[in-house]
This record gives sequence, structure tokens and C-alpha cells, in this order.
Amino acid sequence: MRLADVEARFYELVTARDSVAATVAAAGPELRRAVEQMVAGDARLPAIARLEIYADMYFARIRDVLADEYAKTASALGGAAFHALVVDYLDACRPDHPSMREVGARLPTFLATHPTGARRPWLAELARLERARLEMIDSADAGTLTFEALRTLPPERFATLNLRLVPSHALLETQFDVVPLWRSEDPGTTVPAPSPTALVVWRRDLEVLHRAVDGEEADWLRRLESGDLMFASLCDGLARGRTDEAAAARAFELVGRWASDGLLRADD
Amino acid sequence: MIVGMEGFAALGQGLGLRPPFYEAAATGEASFAAVADVDWWEVISENFMGEGGNPRRVLRAARAHRPIVLHGVSMPLGSTDPLDARYLDRLAALAAEIEPAWISDHLCWSSLGGHRAHDLWPLPFTEEALAHVAGRVARVQERLGRRILVENVSSYLTYRHSTMSEPQFLTALAERADCGLLLDVNNVFVSAHNHGFDAVAFLDAIPRERVGQFHLAGHETLPTHLRDTHDHPVCDGVWELYRHAVARFGDVATLLERDEHIPPLDELCAELRHAGEIARASRGGAER
Repeated sequence: MRLADVEARFYELVTARDSVAATVAAAGPELRRAVEQMVAGDARLPAIARLEIYADMYFARIRDVLADEYAKTASALGGAAFHALVVDYLDACRPDHPSMREVGARLPTFLATHPTGARRPWLAELARLERARLEMIDSADAGTLTFEALRTLPPERFATLNLRLVPSHALLETQFDVVPLWRSEDPGTTVPAPSPTALVVWRRDLEVLHRAVDGEEADWLRRLESGDLMFASLCDGLARGRTDEAAAARAFELVGRWASDGLLRADD
Repeated sequence: MIVGMEGFAALGQGLGLRPPFYEAAATGEASFAAVADVDWWEVISENFMGEGGNPRRVLRAARAHRPIVLHGVSMPLGSTDPLDARYLDRLAALAAEIEPAWISDHLCWSSLGGHRAHDLWPLPFTEEALAHVAGRVARVQERLGRRILVENVSSYLTYRHSTMSEPQFLTALAERADCGLLLDVNNVFVSAHNHGFDAVAFLDAIPRERVGQFHLAGHETLPTHLRDTHDHPVCDGVWELYRHAVARFGDVATLLERDEHIPPLDELCAELRHAGEIARASRGGAER
């Protein structure tokens, strides 16, 4: 039997949606014979039972990793529903990355289209938040512009201060305010009201953080995300509908907050 | 006198670096006295391939205190899929930064058509599989610019069309690819139970000069088979087999793996000291 054929048959049986025994039973005696000709079995462990060990381990390992990475979503769904979701997910989105951590990368998008997610649409958004937080853990490092550095910056330097976001950040937009859901001890019983929310997720040193931002701050964070921004341009933009003094005060407020958060990248 | 395989130093007794030990590994004895018992750390390569954050910080800091070995779980040496060049590039970059004592992975396959199983699936021990794996190990070694160690995995099935035993396959692989072997003593114990072969005879069939490292771990005893879980202390039977391994292969670097139900560092260090006592006893009590 060629190596490629062995691997194809093993993979088909061990990663099937159903158990190996059910898959073989459904396929009929020809597959059973083929399996028994391929795998050595004995009275203690027949060939199909030996393949079943691998099938169980394949699913359990991935389910356990996903339950850990999406702890809040899994808690909200409950064990049985999360198990069923993972069965469907693995059927639709086979792992294709060498890192185990990437196995769950498509789960939030998948959940949004899954019947479970359709019934409780906030859960896919909760999963997006959990995923974004996970991705921050080992994202690229960068020096940050600290609030202290900003505070001691000579006034004449502000106009040309180049604002840039650290690479370890993500901006999310959700239709529900998932922050209370994420905080909840019992997210399964929490039903958030629809409330379009913008979130920023980032890593400050080793700590992963997130917070909701208002519409104006979200707009400016998106501008920052798409490229560098001069402090003077921020002031000009904020001046629409405001006095120059109010715009400058708001600009200092935003930049001060971003610097305190560790969201701004220091000059190289 | 048994001489260790060139390029694979007798590093002593090491521990798998898992998150509960990150701070101990990063700060060393200054903060965690128990770390004195850990001669080296083995890390799962894929867990440290991210660009930044805590994992890379810990790895750099740990490297300042102890030798590091990169142990991979995602280089499917036996898969019929093409070798993943991007993965190898990332592994090479990590190795260039960390300068590990060596790099290892498993004799298994775990991907098909680009899909990854994240498991260690068994190969048939045939001439075709041997030629396939030997060629891939050689290409990996060429890309990494160094000899690697290939580990025997625990298995729960064998293939009827295998034409050689696992030790024969490992021996032939090591010779053809000119690689070393990472002998997982627990895996030999588990597979011996599951397939009914003699674990001591397995060790005796492995060439002494090819073994560069041992693994020790615990497993779970089920009614029908043993399952390699890394969630228990090393059992008496594995310690007994380890004694035989040390007597046969000499003072080879030994690594204790624990991935689930991880106890406090002190408790694992007691197992490390026990491994060290066995190694010293095999040298007649002589210190390195």
C-alpha cells in the first residue's frame, strides 16, 4: 500500500465528522475490509478501535484548545453547544497552519454564520474580542511614546509630532456592547441590547487590554491605523464644529489618553 | 566508554518550558531556587514563533541562564505534503536568534492536502516511507544548517504492510539521513504495551552512537491501552526502562515533559533529581 494512500485513508477516517466506527459502518463492508487490511488489530483493540483512539484525540485536543482560547464564548454557549459548534467548525474550516493557535482563527467568522450565532449574534462578536485579545499576546513589540515623554515635549514640537499606533493593536466594531458580556461571570445568561460599539484592543508591555471608544475617537484611531498622523492634522480635524481652543483641548485629551494607554509608538 | 553523539552535548537534566515556569526560567535562581535543578530547557518551537510579547521575552531571558533546545511538533517529516518552506524559514530565524543547543521533531506525519492535524500520527515502516522521510530529514538539515534529532512517537496502531520494526526503521533513518535520534523512553514503554513488543529489546536495537537526547514523561493507563498524556509523574516501569537506556546509551541529555496537570516546579525538580541520580549511578557515582 502506497504511503500516500495510507495517509489519505487514515486522514479521511480520523478527521471524519462521525466516529470511525460510524463512518465505516455507513460506508459498508468494503471499507471495513480495507481498514482491517491496513491496520493490525487484535482482540483487545480491533483495527477500528485503534483508529478511533486517534480520532478522539484529534477532536478533543482541538476542542480543548478552542475552549481555552474562547473561554467566554464557550462559557456562554455551554459545553454541549460548544462541542457541537466545534464539530461543525472543524468540518468547515480544517486547520491549515503549523501553529495550533491558528486553528481557531476563523471561529468568530464561522460562528457569525452558524445557526447558533444567528440566534445569539452577540456571541460571534464576543468571540471576535477574545480572538483579538489572543492575537495581541505575541504580536510585534514596539517602543511606546509614554505620557511622561509627551508631557515633557517642548510646546513647539507638538505641531509636528508624528502619531503612530503600536503594531500590537486591533480595532473592532460590534453591533452589541460585548464589554459587559466579556466581564460577566455568567455570559450565558446575559443578553446585551443592540448597541453599535467601537473597541480598541492592544498590548501594553505584557498586558492585553481593551476598551470601548466613542465614535470620534474610533474615527481618529482608524485614521491612525491607516497611516501616520501629525498632531496638527488632528487639531485641524477636531476643529470642525469646535473653537480652536476646544479642538486643541480635545486633541490633548485624546493623545494623552493614547499615550497613557501605551497605544502610541515612540519614534525609532 | 560510551561517547555521546557529536553535536549533542550531555546537558544534564532539563525540563519542558511551559507557561507556569516562564518567570522562573526568565529570572533564574535569583528568584526561584528550584531552578538550580534544571540544567536546560526544551521549548515547543511553534509556541515561540510569534513576533514579540511575553513568549519571546521569556525565551531570550531563559537563554541567558540555560541552554535551550527547540522541539517542534509541526514539521510533518512523514507527510506526503510538500515540506512547509515558510515554517522552516521561521524555525531557522528562531534558531538564529536563540542559538539552541539543537533542534528536534518527530517521526510521524500530521498533514494532508495542506490540512494540519496537530497530532503525531504513525507511519508504516516500509522502504517507501523510509526513503521519503530520510529525504525530507536531509532537506530539513540542509535548510537549518545542522543535524537534527528525530523522536520516536507513542503509537496506538501498526500497519499490516510494514516490512521492518520501528527500531530498524529509526536505525536506517539515522544512517541514511545522518540525523540523530531523540529516544522518548515513555513512548517506547507506551508503544511496547500497546503493541506487545519488548521495550528493552527495542532500546537494544537502537545504535548507541545515534542517540542525542532522552525524553521522560508520564502516561495514562486505560483498560485497553496506555495513552501518552504527559499528565502524570514518570511511573516505575518507565524509570526502570530509563535505567536500561542510560546503561546502554550513556549520560545523554534527559528532558522531563509535563503538559497537563502541571505541579509546582519543586515537584518536577524531584523527578529531575531522580533522573540525575540514575545517570550518576550509571557512571559509578562519578560527577561530570
